[in-house]
Amino acid sequence: MRRAPQPVWDAFVRLFHWALVASIAVAAVTGFVLGPGFIPVHVVAASLAVALVLARIVWGFAGGGYARFAGFVTGPVRLMRYARDVLGGREARHVGHNPLGAAMVLALMAAVLAAGLTGWAFLGAGAKLGPFAFILAHTDSPALAEMHEAVAFTILALVALHLGGVIFTSRREGENLVRAMVTGKKEVGPQDIVPPEREARPGAALGVGLALALVLALAVAAPVLLPVPGAPVAEIDPTARAECTDCHMFYHPSLLPSDNWEQIMATLDNHFGEDASLDAETTAEITAWLSAHAAESADTRASKVFRLDPAKGVTRISDTPFWKARHGWIDPAAFRSPRVGSRDNCAACHADAETGWFNPFFAEVEE
Amino acid sequence: MKGNFRKLALVGALAALAGWPAAAGDTSARQLIAQFAAQAHTQPSVARGKALFMGRHTGGKPETPSCTTCHTQNLRATGHTRAGKAIEPMALSANPSRFTDSAKVAKWFRRNCKSVLGRECTAGEKADILAWLSSL
Repeated sequence: MRRAPQPVWDAFVRLFHWALVASIAVAAVTGFVLGPGFIPVHVVAASLAVALVLARIVWGFAGGGYARFAGFVTGPVRLMRYARDVLGGREARHVGHNPLGAAMVLALMAAVLAAGLTGWAFLGAGAKLGPFAFILAHTDSPALAEMHEAVAFTILALVALHLGGVIFTSRREGENLVRAMVTGKKEVGPQDIVPPEREARPGAALGVGLALALVLALAVAAPVLLPVPGAPVAEIDPTARAECTDCHMFYHPSLLPSDNWEQIMATLDNHFGEDASLDAETTAEITAWLSAHAAESADTRASKVFRLDPAKGVTRISDTPFWKARHGWIDPAAFRSPRVGSRDNCAACHADAETGWFNPFFAEVEE
Repeated sequence: MKGNFRKLALVGALAALAGWPAAAGDTSARQLIAQFAAQAHTQPSVARGKALFMGRHTGGKPETPSCTTCHTQNLRATGHTRAGKAIEPMALSANPSRFTDSAKVAKWFRRNCKSVLGRECTAGEKADILAWLSSL
C-alpha cells in the first residue's frame, strides 16, 4: 500500500528537538568532559535546555494534533499492551509518537527539568549563585552534586535508549525517522494510527509562554536579590589591603582559616622567601582583622577548600589538592605568561578574586 | 642624632597607622642622605652604593640574591615583585616621588636589606644606596 508523505512534525517541534539536542550536547560535553572553566557555558546551555522543555510543555497544550500531549500521552495499561505487541511483532504503526516514544518524551523532559533544578541548587549551595543561594548552605553541595550527576547520567541513558528506539522503529517501518524530524514529513498509510486533528493555537501558546517566562523571571529574580548568608566580608580593612598589596594581590581573609592567617602573620620576617615584616602594632591590627573575617566566617566554596599545612608541604594556596584539581587542565605555561606571572596571581583570571567570591562566571578561560 | 632617629621612628609608626599615604612628603633624598651619612660619620659614595645595589649577595634569602632580583638592572624602568606586582622605578630622575616618605624608606630598607643581605643595612650603606639612586 502506498503511503503519502504528510506534514507531521511542525516547525516548533523540529526546532525544539534539534535545539534541545544541541543544548544537551553542549551541557554534556562541558559537564562531563571539560574543566571547571566551562561552568558558565554549561549553565547557559543547560538553562536553555530547561527553557526549551518549558516551551515544549506549553506547546503540548496548544499545538496541533501531533504536538499535543493529549494526542500521544498514554496510560500504563496501553503502554504495556503496546510494548507486548512490539515484542510479538504485531504493533500498530503510529504516525506521531508511539506509546513508548511518548513515554520517552515525558521521561526526557522530566529529566531535563530535574537536571536544571538540581544544577541550580548545586550552584546555589556551592557557588552561592542563583535563586537557591539564599536558602542553601555549602554543606548541602556534595549531596546536590551527587543528585545532579545521577540525573545527568539518567539523561545520557535516556538519550541512548531514545536513539535505540529511533533506529529500531526506522528499520521496522522502513522510514528514516531522523530525516522526518528534519523535514517534518512522514508517510501516512490508511491503517496507521493518527492523533485526532486539533487546531494549533500559536497566539495562545505565545501568550502563555510569555506569561510563564515573566513569572519564572520574577520567581528567580526575587530570591537572587536576597542577601546570601555566609558572604565573604565586603568591607576590606585599608591597612590590611595596603600592606598586603605592596607585593602581591589582595588575598581575601575568607580564603584561609584563622590559624593559617595567624601563622602567616607571625612569620612575616620569612614570608615566602622574603622579609615582609611590619611593626608590632600594624601586625597585630592586621592579624586581628584577618582572623575575624577568616574562612570560618564565610560559607563560600573558596572558604571551604583551602587549608595550608606546612607539615605536609602545603605552604601556598596553589599547593592545596583542591587548587591543583581545579587548575590541572590549564597549560602550565599560561601561569608564567607576563600577564599572569605566577600561580599566586588569582586575580589575573578570576576578576573577583580579591572579593573572596570566585564566581565561576567571572573566571577567564584562556589557553 | 639619636633624638632625630627617634622622631623618624615615631613619624614612621604614625604613617604606618594611617595606612601609608602615597607620599607623606616629610623628607627628600638629599635630606635622607645627609641624615644617614651624619649617623654613619662617612661620606656617601655613589660607587659603593652601585656596587652594593647591583651586586650578588649570599647572606640573605636564596630567592633574593640581589636588589636587582626585583628592581632589575634598569632602575629607570618598572621592576616586579616576585609575586608579579609592578614596582615603580627606583631612580630619582625617573620617579620624583621616591624617598619623600621617611617611614616608607625605613620600612623597605629594613625588609629588603634583610631579604638580600640577611641583616639590616648600616646607615652608611643607606646613604650610599640613596646617593647612587639619586645620581641616575
